[in-house]
Amino acid sequence: MSLAHRNLFQDKTRLLLSVAGVALAVMLILILSGFLAGMNHQITSYLNNSPGSVMVTQKGVVNMLGATSLLPPGADVQVEAEQGVEQVIPILSQFVILDLHDKKLPAYMIGYDPGQGGGPWRIRAGREPQTDDEMVFDWVLAGRHDLSLGDSLDLMGQTFKIVGLTDGTTSWMTSFFFITRKAAENLLRTPGAVSFLLITPVEGTNSEDLIRRLDDLPGINALTKARMAANDLELFANIFSMPLRLMVAIAFLVGTMIVGLVIYTATVERQREYGVLKAIGAPNRVLYRVVTTQALFASLAGSLVGILLAYGLAGWIMGARPQFLIVLDPADMLWALLSGLGMALAAALFPARMIAGLAPAEVFRK
Amino acid sequence: MTDTTLNVDHVTKRYGSSSTEVTAVKDVSLSVKPGEIVLIMGPSGSGKTTLLSMLGALLKPTEGEIHLNGTIISALSEKHLPDIRLKQFGFIFQDFNLLSALTALENVSIVAELAGMKGVAARKKSAELLADLGLAGRLNFLPEKLSGGEKQRVAIARALINNPTLILADEPTANLDSKIGHEIMRLLRQIAKEQNRSVVIVSHDQRIKDIADHVLWLEDGQFKEIVSMAIDPVCGMSVEREKAFHLSLNGMDYYFCAKGCRDEFAADAEKYQQTNEASF
Repeated sequence: MSLAHRNLFQDKTRLLLSVAGVALAVMLILILSGFLAGMNHQITSYLNNSPGSVMVTQKGVVNMLGATSLLPPGADVQVEAEQGVEQVIPILSQFVILDLHDKKLPAYMIGYDPGQGGGPWRIRAGREPQTDDEMVFDWVLAGRHDLSLGDSLDLMGQTFKIVGLTDGTTSWMTSFFFITRKAAENLLRTPGAVSFLLITPVEGTNSEDLIRRLDDLPGINALTKARMAANDLELFANIFSMPLRLMVAIAFLVGTMIVGLVIYTATVERQREYGVLKAIGAPNRVLYRVVTTQALFASLAGSLVGILLAYGLAGWIMGARPQFLIVLDPADMLWALLSGLGMALAAALFPARMIAGLAPAEVFRK
Repeated sequence: MTDTTLNVDHVTKRYGSSSTEVTAVKDVSLSVKPGEIVLIMGPSGSGKTTLLSMLGALLKPTEGEIHLNGTIISALSEKHLPDIRLKQFGFIFQDFNLLSALTALENVSIVAELAGMKGVAARKKSAELLADLGLAGRLNFLPEKLSGGEKQRVAIARALINNPTLILADEPTANLDSKIGHEIMRLLRQIAKEQNRSVVIVSHDQRIKDIADHVLWLEDGQFKEIVSMAIDPVCGMSVEREKAFHLSLNGMDYYFCAKGCRDEFAADAEKYQQTNEASF
């Protein structure tokens, strides 16, 4: 066993504290990153799961969740007539406020034609709406408010019966629910209105060319769904990503400081021993290796424990609060280990500097 | 091949500059032959530690040269010195300075491994060396479980593991009782004579004089004649007879480092008289 490991294991309490410190920091980094990834996933869930690859919006509207879009009358017919368009699915969507148990909750309503598509992509229980007084509700939101299949829900003065419960349509910010387009028109008092068109191009059609031609039609804007999703992410996720990334950075710093402090104090305590080794003839690089190995061991052990904790905590959070989606990608493990490595190297800097400054002749001083 | 292991040639060490300049060692010259044991004594602050540090290539002299087996080590660059210290010198410290997390065996083998020996061979050689020094049953003991004498023997094994030319010992008996201290010194003498290694010891301990081939007195950074020295019976310090505080009592002459010691002695002479035998 090397000197580094002997030094580490001589004080097991200190080793445990440093491993625990790093583990908590790594866990926090993973949970926050996973939460951000989950939020991104939730924000773009409709666009990622709805049919088509191109979207048509009202002129000037470039995102789905951040703006209200109302296409000019007859836009769907004009778009359908364009060469290279295979399918056009109109939807009428709008943020609405739900009143659930005297609690106001924002939700995103999608009015669609069940025969055409653009509705729920994964029904957990029940079926799609068939009449204009039926709705498909998010199962997480339903569960939180004791709603189940067959229950009624008042929405903007009209009563809807829940006939289906959907999966993957929730987020901690808002949830999607689905009604027929006709029902949406009635609710919004906008007969024949269309917010967006979901376009499926004919196979082999140049999408950029199609978008350019659609863009030239009066009063509308065309863009890829991927672009639309990116715009939604930019609008919503970025609001939260900054503070979340800041918290990730703070967690990284805290982890680094914990390992740094532990290794630094351990090095200070053994200052004389390092001085003896220098006097005997150990070159600085050997001593750096001892310090760095200690930091690496504590950091990597902490990272591994942190990964396990993160998976456990994510599972617990999503079980207790399903509206919070925490996406822990296997690649995150690599990220966590790299974080641990980064912490170790940063943490080893100060002890290494101290060792470099040690005068070997000091060992003869009493 | 030279006939001296160590040759110190007019070495001076100064710290600071202009008004704050302090000369710790002044124009010191010294030769140590193979197998010779040189004891350097002197009062605190006399420059012993500075001289020892320079001899061990831990500190560079301001002036003069230090030759080890014909190589001017005082002229070598910093990057060459660790290797010289590792392979040419064996260090023995006052506080033993063993690595607390390593066993006796590991404390010795780590130095062999630093010098390039492979782990298994290093451990084998270390175990043999420790066994030769009477520590066969203590190989896997941590320093905290060893007695002072055992720790110092581990330190001696560590100093010997790379077959050094010169062993430098700093107050090797300071933390040992007189019996163990004497044993350690006899052991060091035996090693020096049997293995033809040179040993330089810095110490206040008068008892070490018995094992030394050559005793030098360092004071104010310079070697002085030791015939004029005496031991203060109160504090045990070596003092220069001409400069010391003097007291004649019952036909005996006593020398003191300070008036306080002389007064203390005069107040209760019987208590101190027996220790005066150690003057030289």
